[in-house]
Amino acid sequence: MFRLGRVKWLGVVATIVALALTACGGPAATSAPTTSPTKPPAVPTAAPVGAATTAPTTAPAATKKLVIGYTASQTGAQNVASAKQVEGLKLWAADVTKAGGIKTKDAIYMPELKSYDDESKTDRVQALYTKLISDDKVDLLISPYSSTLVKAAAVVSEQNGKLMITAGGADDLTMEAGFKNIYQVYTPASRYLTGVVDMLKKLDPSVKKVAIVNEKDSFSTTVAAALLPYAKAQGYDVVLNESYDSNSTDFVPFINKLTPLAPEAILGGGHFQDGTTFAKQMKERNVSAKYVALLVAPPEPTFIEIGDAAQGIIGPSQWEPLVKFSAESAKAAGLAWYGPSVQQFMDGYQAAYKSEPSYHSAGGYAAGMMLQKAIEDAGSADPEKMKAALDKVDMLSFYGRVKFSVDAKTHGKQEGHGMVYMQWQKDAAGKLMRQIVWPLEAKSADVQPRK
Amino acid sequence: MKALQNVSLWGLLVVIVAATAIPILLDAPAMREEYFSMLMVIVLASSINIIVGYTGYVSFGHIVFFGLGGYVAFWLMQTFAMHLAPAAVIGGLFTSLVAMLIGMPVLRLRGAYFALATIGINEAMRTFVTNFDPFGGSVGMFFNFSVYDAYGGAKAAGQLAYYAMIAVALAVVVTSFFIKKSKFGLGLMAIREDQDTAMVLGVNPSRAKVITYTVSAFFPALAGAIFFFKNGIIEPGAAFDLHRSIESLVMVMLGGYGTVAGPIVGAVLYDRLRTFLITSETFSSLHLFIAGALLLVIVLFVTAGIVGWLRNRFTLVRRYVE
Repeated sequence: MFRLGRVKWLGVVATIVALALTACGGPAATSAPTTSPTKPPAVPTAAPVGAATTAPTTAPAATKKLVIGYTASQTGAQNVASAKQVEGLKLWAADVTKAGGIKTKDAIYMPELKSYDDESKTDRVQALYTKLISDDKVDLLISPYSSTLVKAAAVVSEQNGKLMITAGGADDLTMEAGFKNIYQVYTPASRYLTGVVDMLKKLDPSVKKVAIVNEKDSFSTTVAAALLPYAKAQGYDVVLNESYDSNSTDFVPFINKLTPLAPEAILGGGHFQDGTTFAKQMKERNVSAKYVALLVAPPEPTFIEIGDAAQGIIGPSQWEPLVKFSAESAKAAGLAWYGPSVQQFMDGYQAAYKSEPSYHSAGGYAAGMMLQKAIEDAGSADPEKMKAALDKVDMLSFYGRVKFSVDAKTHGKQEGHGMVYMQWQKDAAGKLMRQIVWPLEAKSADVQPRK
Repeated sequence: MKALQNVSLWGLLVVIVAATAIPILLDAPAMREEYFSMLMVIVLASSINIIVGYTGYVSFGHIVFFGLGGYVAFWLMQTFAMHLAPAAVIGGLFTSLVAMLIGMPVLRLRGAYFALATIGINEAMRTFVTNFDPFGGSVGMFFNFSVYDAYGGAKAAGQLAYYAMIAVALAVVVTSFFIKKSKFGLGLMAIREDQDTAMVLGVNPSRAKVITYTVSAFFPALAGAIFFFKNGIIEPGAAFDLHRSIESLVMVMLGGYGTVAGPIVGAVLYDRLRTFLITSETFSSLHLFIAGALLLVIVLFVTAGIVGWLRNRFTLVRRYVE
């Protein structure tokens, strides 16, 4: 038992452990302060969004401040993806500012971002969204990153009748919880890997046996839960369906199980670290599956660091720079085109942050664009009018198609946006390159079986 | 003497009630959210102090009771449309029962072995819940937003959660006070100082420790039930977050372990400091560094915590603050 002195000492130990744990949560975001006036990042994009999409006004319109609130996970488990999302959103705000604001008939709205660090915790999210609404009097909301935090923010947003765009939450369940003021940017999690099944069915009918191995967390489980019945319904023999704990680093037990079952395709994964390790260990153990598709990790530019183990790995992505959505493709599809081109977004991002955008960055930018589109269509920043406008949105942008469900049970759920599937392939010079392999209308290369 | 004891208890209760009434009187929702957060950490810190401060048994995984109570109550509310109050109480009682069953073997361990075992219990429970389908497995459980209609809407449900957390905070303070002032509490402190001597003096350490552990588990379970009700979602990562346990211990050390007022002072100060730093434009990116360094300094140089230091230094404080 501890004596008094030891208990005191334990205080020191507890504090050190607390510091260590918080340090494990990741560094604070380095990019920007919590309150961001709309001063553009280093270099704005080539063609600001608003300039191309709004008609000039006939009379001088009053300039109004449009305060957009959100929380960022500067610390905690979600800090990496959240930072990317925030960068995308800030780039959008800078572009709009440079274009002279969001122009309507009666007013020009100048966006101003207001945010706090939620520490990746739901209790902070609820307290801070209430603060944003009550104290900071924000006009509109953008969600935090990750499904759990989105749901916590959505409760507060809905309580207060605030319009919120869920930039970084793919969870289906959130959008089926009866919210009326929430709109989803991402393709729902249930559709993350079903596209791979469609691709295999179309492009390689020789594949009969499929294995599903996924992380045991909310997002990955939702993906796998939708994938399993879909694969079975498409006539595939699912020879293995197992999950592994978050933070797993040893996949040899799964690989040993997979080898005698000889699946032709392995689908699943979870997040960056586990997905990367899984891919490496499959290469080391010479797993012979022709196709491997993993969540989250492959689309990240740094996935290439595992070298040859990356070759042939397929990844579902919300957005890829190689997919050239354009005004022409919008016209061909009978959709309205909106916002900057893919290249303009890429150039602007590269100039502002000196790094490649990920799909989280594109999601952040797209979330801002959704608010802008709603204000322009509604001719006002009134939430009810904006909601009516968002319900009617069906458009194509650099991010892809966006259309929201208007069904009472799934109101606001994303139903227009689709996943694209990239694959790491070697070019003629033996260099690993990312290629789009599905859908066919977006492909930059044919899908290749692993060697 | 008895009157003085009551002064210290009534003083604490009056302060808590008066402070928590402010956001209601001002109709300030953001302030209410901040106070909700403060009340919750008061409950967590005070309950962990009952076992750590009074018996000297350091529980690193006390948050397991917060998660378990939250899960049981959430499941009852979602599956049987049960009201928050009975669901929380059932969740609390079930959690206490689990604590008793866990405590009987685990509290035989001493020192670091016990501390490590409590971490193991938390992780084991998190893994169990992650694989337990009735609780939603790794996805967890979520309310349809219409659940709040039964409470007069989500806003009213949020207010109810606030009042409920006030009640739990008051209950844990009262319990903490009466345990400390009772003969039973003296036995606990004898165990803390020297278990073998305490046994010679007639204290039954095993029985006393299990009862204390069972009681200390009840309040975080109630807090978990209320917190996740208000959140509308519960999942294993948030329910069994070991970081929250460590923070609770830090709050106890900061305020003063083994005292009634110490965990309250520590919890409020820690929560306010953290909130100030997070919402400050100047310090937001440094908040972890500043909070950590400050805490380290206080724990190193004010080893009895703030209340302990005040009690040691000022007679008047000793008389009125437990």
